[in-house]
Amino acid sequence: MTNSINEIEEAQVILVSGSNTTRTHPQVARRFFRAMDRGARLIVIDPRRTRLARHAHIHLRIRPGTDIALLNGMMRSIIDENLIDDLFIQMRTENYTTMRDMLFGIDLAQAAAITGVPEKTIRRAARIYAQAQRSVICYCLGVTQHIAGTGNVQSYANLAMLTGHVEQEFTGVDPLRGQNNVQGACDMGALPGVLPGYQPVADAGVREKFARVWGVDLPRNPGLTLLDMTHEPSGAAGLRQAAPVIRGLYVTGENPLLSEPSLNGVRKTFHQYDFLAVSDIFLSETAQVADVVFPAASFAEKTGSITSSERRVQLMRKAIDPVGDSRPDDWIVMELARRLGYVMDYESPAEVMEEICMVTPIYAGMYHDHLDRGWGVQWPCGGRDMEGTQYLHKYSFARGRGRFEPAVHVDPAEPPDSDYPFALITGRFYFQYHTGTMTRRTPILERESDRPLLEMHPDDGHRLGLQPGDRVTVASRRGRCRFVVELTDRVEPGNLFTSFHFAEAPVNELTIDASDPVARCPEYKVCAVRLEEAEPC
Amino acid sequence: MLDSFVLAKDHLLPFLRKLTKEYRLVAPVRNRHGDTLFTEIHDLDRVEIDLEHQPQSSLKPFFFPQVEVLSMYGLDQDAVTGATWYSFYPQLPENRPTVYFGVRSCDMMAVMYTDMIFLQSSEYDVYYARHRENAIFITIGCNHPFANCFCNATRSGPFLEHGFDIQLTDIGDRFFVETGRARGVRLRRQWSYFFRDAGEEDKRAQFQVALEARGLFSRLVHVDLVTRILTRREEPVEIFAELSARCQDCGGCAYICPTCTCFTIHDQALGDDRGERLRTWDACTFSGFTRMAGNHNPVEPERQRIRKRFLHKLLHDVERHGRTSCMGCGRCVDICFGGVDILRFIEMVSENETEPEERP
Amino acid sequence: MIFDPSRYVAPGIGGPQGFKPIRKNIYLPVQAQVQEVCRENDLVKTFVFEFGDPLVNQEFTYEPGQFMMVSMPHCGEAPISFSSSPSRGGSFALTVRRAGRLTTAMHRLRPGDTIGVRGPYGRPFPMAELAGRNLLFVAGGIGLAPLRSVISFCLDNRADHGDITLLYGCRTPADICFADDLEHWRQAGVTCLCTVDEGDGSWPGRVGLVTELLPEVEVDAASWRALVCGPGVMIHFVVSRLLEMGFPRAHIYTTLERHMKCGVGICGHCFLEEKLICREGPVFSLNELDDTRNL
Repeated sequence: MTNSINEIEEAQVILVSGSNTTRTHPQVARRFFRAMDRGARLIVIDPRRTRLARHAHIHLRIRPGTDIALLNGMMRSIIDENLIDDLFIQMRTENYTTMRDMLFGIDLAQAAAITGVPEKTIRRAARIYAQAQRSVICYCLGVTQHIAGTGNVQSYANLAMLTGHVEQEFTGVDPLRGQNNVQGACDMGALPGVLPGYQPVADAGVREKFARVWGVDLPRNPGLTLLDMTHEPSGAAGLRQAAPVIRGLYVTGENPLLSEPSLNGVRKTFHQYDFLAVSDIFLSETAQVADVVFPAASFAEKTGSITSSERRVQLMRKAIDPVGDSRPDDWIVMELARRLGYVMDYESPAEVMEEICMVTPIYAGMYHDHLDRGWGVQWPCGGRDMEGTQYLHKYSFARGRGRFEPAVHVDPAEPPDSDYPFALITGRFYFQYHTGTMTRRTPILERESDRPLLEMHPDDGHRLGLQPGDRVTVASRRGRCRFVVELTDRVEPGNLFTSFHFAEAPVNELTIDASDPVARCPEYKVCAVRLEEAEPC
Repeated sequence: MLDSFVLAKDHLLPFLRKLTKEYRLVAPVRNRHGDTLFTEIHDLDRVEIDLEHQPQSSLKPFFFPQVEVLSMYGLDQDAVTGATWYSFYPQLPENRPTVYFGVRSCDMMAVMYTDMIFLQSSEYDVYYARHRENAIFITIGCNHPFANCFCNATRSGPFLEHGFDIQLTDIGDRFFVETGRARGVRLRRQWSYFFRDAGEEDKRAQFQVALEARGLFSRLVHVDLVTRILTRREEPVEIFAELSARCQDCGGCAYICPTCTCFTIHDQALGDDRGERLRTWDACTFSGFTRMAGNHNPVEPERQRIRKRFLHKLLHDVERHGRTSCMGCGRCVDICFGGVDILRFIEMVSENETEPEERP
Repeated sequence: MIFDPSRYVAPGIGGPQGFKPIRKNIYLPVQAQVQEVCRENDLVKTFVFEFGDPLVNQEFTYEPGQFMMVSMPHCGEAPISFSSSPSRGGSFALTVRRAGRLTTAMHRLRPGDTIGVRGPYGRPFPMAELAGRNLLFVAGGIGLAPLRSVISFCLDNRADHGDITLLYGCRTPADICFADDLEHWRQAGVTCLCTVDEGDGSWPGRVGLVTELLPEVEVDAASWRALVCGPGVMIHFVVSRLLEMGFPRAHIYTTLERHMKCGVGICGHCFLEEKLICREGPVFSLNELDDTRNL
C-alpha cells in the first residue's frame, strides 16, 4: 500500500476493485464504513455483488477479466472531460504522450460492450473518482489473478497518476495483501528475481554485498516462480525456457496440493520429485505426501516479525512454548542448514533482524528494540532512530518519475464457450482461511462454513432444476469436483463462484494454470466449466 | 446508609500488598503497548495499576472463560462383544480466593447479571460458580466517564449503591471508601489500620464528585425511550436490515460484551479414544448459532443478524429481569468493524421519536 | 422500572456463610446403554436405552414432550425428544432421523453400546390438563415421535382420556415411522388416518397434505384438544386450519425444535423471541406463540 490503512478513513472517494473487503480484509472495510459515515463515496469494481458492493454508490459489475477495458474507458472519459491533473503529470511522470495516444484510440461504446457496464456509468464513476481531492484505490486478487494481472495493476497506477491521486496523504494505490505476512515474505526476497528489500539478483553490487555477509557466492539468475516449481515445464503454462530440473522441494507453510491451479498437473510434478520435505503446523494435504515433515511452531509459539499490507513491520512475541515436538521455523531452517554443511548460528530472531537491517535499506531501522517501542514501524525506515514512512512516493516516486504503461484489454485465457458455458470465479469465504489448514480445525468456524458452496444465480439454478443444497459436479477441461449449490444474486447469470478452502472439493482441480507472463500469477479468477450430474439434497 | 471510611492514596499500595498475601489479586494493568487489561498481579512493584483508563476487557473471562474444559471423555470397546463404552470425567476449575480491584460500576453490574444467568436459572452452573464463589470486588466509581460511556442511561453507574464489597471514590488525595457486602466489611475490618472513619467533609467531597460525574457524559443516550418503543412491538425492521447488512459477522460485540453469556459446547478429540468437551463463547450474530441440522435457520441472517442482540439487551431482559442487560460500558462501539454497535442502534431508533425522555 | 439488586445476587454468594456445597454438575452426562434398535425407515431409527447405573434407572422419570441431551463420541450433544411413554417404566426410547454428524453416528449404534445422556429437560405436555379430553394428534414425518410418547401414555391410562384421533402425514410412503405402532393403536381404538404428499405405485392410501384430513374427522373444537408436531411450515398450516375450525388458541399444543447446547436455559441458542425453548418449551400452547410463520 502506498498509504496507511488509517488514511482510508479520510478519503473522499474509495475505488475498490477485485476485493471482497468486508469478508477478506474486515479491518480495512471498517475504514471504508467510517469514511462513508463521513460522506465518502464508494465505487466497487467486481463481477460479484459482494456485501461491499451492496453499500457502493456505484457498482461497476464488469465481466470477469475486463478491468483494463473499463479503466481505459474511465481514463478516456477523464481526458474527454478534462479532469486530468496536468501539473502532476508534467512534474512527476513520464511516457504520458504514449498513454494519451493510446487512450485517444479507446471507444467508450466498445469498453461498455467488453465490460458489460453501461457507458454512462463508466463516465459517472470516472468523474467521481477524478473530481475528488482525496481518492483512494484499493485492489486485491481480483485484479492480479488474471493473465493480464500486470496490465491490470499498471492500469490502476495509470488512473491514479492521470488524476494525481498518489504521493499524498489519504490518496494513493493500495493493494490489499492476502496474508498477515505475505508482504514480509516479499520484502525478504521470497520472489524469484530479488534479494531482501527488492534488490535484484542481477545486480553484481547487490550480490557482492550479500556474499560478504553470507560467505557464499550467489546465483546471478532469477530463480523459479511457484508456478514453475509446481507445474511441469511442458504443461499448459508453457512460455518458459528450458527450466532447470528440480529434484527435491522444501515447502514451508504452503499447501500447494490444494492451493495451486490445475492440481492434476501439480500432482504429476510432485511425483517426479525425488524428495519432498514439508514444514507446517498441521499435517496439510501436501505434508501428507511428504518424505519428511517438520512439525512447525504456530505464531503464538515463536518470536519474530510480520509485515502487514501497509508496510508495517510488527514484532510478535512468543506467548507459549511450542507444543509437543514442534519447533520454530528459524530453528528448523538453521538446523537443516547446519546438517547440509552451512552453519547458521543466530542466537535469536533479533540477531537475524540485525542482519536484515544491515543488508536491506528499506528495513535499515527495523531492529527489534525499535519495533518494540510502539505499534511497529512502516518501511522504508532508514535507521534505528527514524520514524518510518506513513505513505510512499512523497515528493517523488521510488523510481524517480512515475511511468505510464499503457495496457490493452486481453481476453481471459479460457472464456466460457458452448462446451463449458459457465465462467468459474474462485475466491474466499469469510469463516475459512486459504486451504483451511488452521480454520477447518476450529469448531466454531467450521460450524459457520463447513460446506463447499457453489454460488449460482437463481435464474441458472431454476433453468437447470437445481435447489439450494443440491450436490452438483462441476467439470472443466482439467478435472471435476463436487459442490453444494447456493442460489444467490451475488453472481451474475453465467458466472459461478466458489472457494479453495475445502479439501473434499478441491476447486483447483478445475482452475487453469495459464498465467500472467510477467508476474507468473495464475488466472484463478476465471476458467470455463460446465455442470454435470446433480444429486438433490 | 453504608459504612464509610477514608483510605489515603499513599496507603493504597500497602493495602493491596496485604491483600496479595491472602488473595489472588486481579486489577486493571496498563501494559507496555498502552492496553489496560484486567490482569492477575504476581508482583505489585513491577506492574502499573491503571485507574485512569477504562479496561479494554471486562471481568467476564475470569468467571466465564472464552474456552473452558467441561469434562474429559474416554472411549473403550469390549474385545468380545464389540460394544462401545463411553465415559465422562468432569474437570472443575480451581477457585482460589481472589480480590478483583479497580472494577468499574458497569462491570460490577455485569457480574451481578451473569450471576443471575448462570446461578439463578432453573439449573445451576457449577463451573461459573467455582470461578465466582471466592471472589471479592473492590470497585471504583468513575469521576469522568469515558468517550463511549452511557452508564447513566442504563442506570449502572457511574457509582454504585449496592453490589460491591468495597467501593472507592477518588476524592483528591484520598479514596472515599464504602463497604457493601459482608466480605468487604470483613476485609476492611481485617486491615482496619489503613482506614479512618469518613468525616462530614469527606462525605461532602464524595457527594460533589458523584454529582459532577453525572454531568460529564458527552452523549445523551435514550435507552429508556428505545425500550418503550420496542415494548410497543413496533419493530424497526428496516433498521435491523440496514445494520445487519453492515455487520461483518465477527462476533466481537458479543465477545467483548460483559453481559453476553451465550456459549456453545463441542468436543475436541485428543485421539481416537479420548477427548475434551469444551465450552466456548458464542454469538447470536453468527448464522450457525441458530441453524439446525438440515440447514433450516429460523433467523434470516441477511436482515435479522443483529436483531436478537439488540432486542435481548433492550427489551427481553427488561421484561424478564426488570432492567436492560446493556450496562452502558460502550466497549462494543470501539470493537465493531461495521459501526453496528448498540449506540448507533439506539440513536437510529430514537431519532424520529418525539416523546420526551424521562430523566433518571 | 426499579431495579431490584437482590434478584441479581446468587443465594449464598458473598454471605458470611460462604458458598453452598457444590451441587450437581448439569453438564455431566451419565451413561445409557442401547437395549434395542428398531429401524423405522431408511432415515429413522428408534433406540431403547437403559442407564448403566441401576440406581439411576429406578429414580429416573420423565414426562411426554420432554427431551434428553444426547452425547456421541467426538460429536458433542443434541436434544432428542422421548418417543416412549414413562408409563412403560424402566427404559426410555429416542427416535432419531439421520441428519447431521451426531445423528449419523447414532445410526451406527448397536445393542450393548454406550452413549451419554443428560436430562430430562423442558416443559412437557400438560397431561393433567389433557385428562378427560378428546385428543386430536396431528403429526408430520418424524414429528410423530414426541406425540407417540403422549399417545402411548394415554393408552396406558385409557380411562383418563376420551376419544383419540391421529392424523399423520409424510412426504412419501417411505418416510412413515412407527408403522407397527399405528397398527397397534388402531386396534386399541385410536382413529388413525395417514396421508403422503407423493405416493408411489404400491401406496394404497391417501395422497395429499395432512391438512386435507382435518375435514374428515369429527372433532368439536370445544371438547377436543389438539397436539401438533412436525416441520415448522406444517405446524403453521395445521394450526391456521384448526383456528379456522374454531379451536381456541389455548386448546392447541405444539412442540418446537431448535439448535440447543445446554438444555437448561443458559446457553441462549434456542431462543424464540424472548423465550428459550429448552426452558419455556419445547411444548407450547398456541396462546403462548404470537406468530407461527417462522417456527
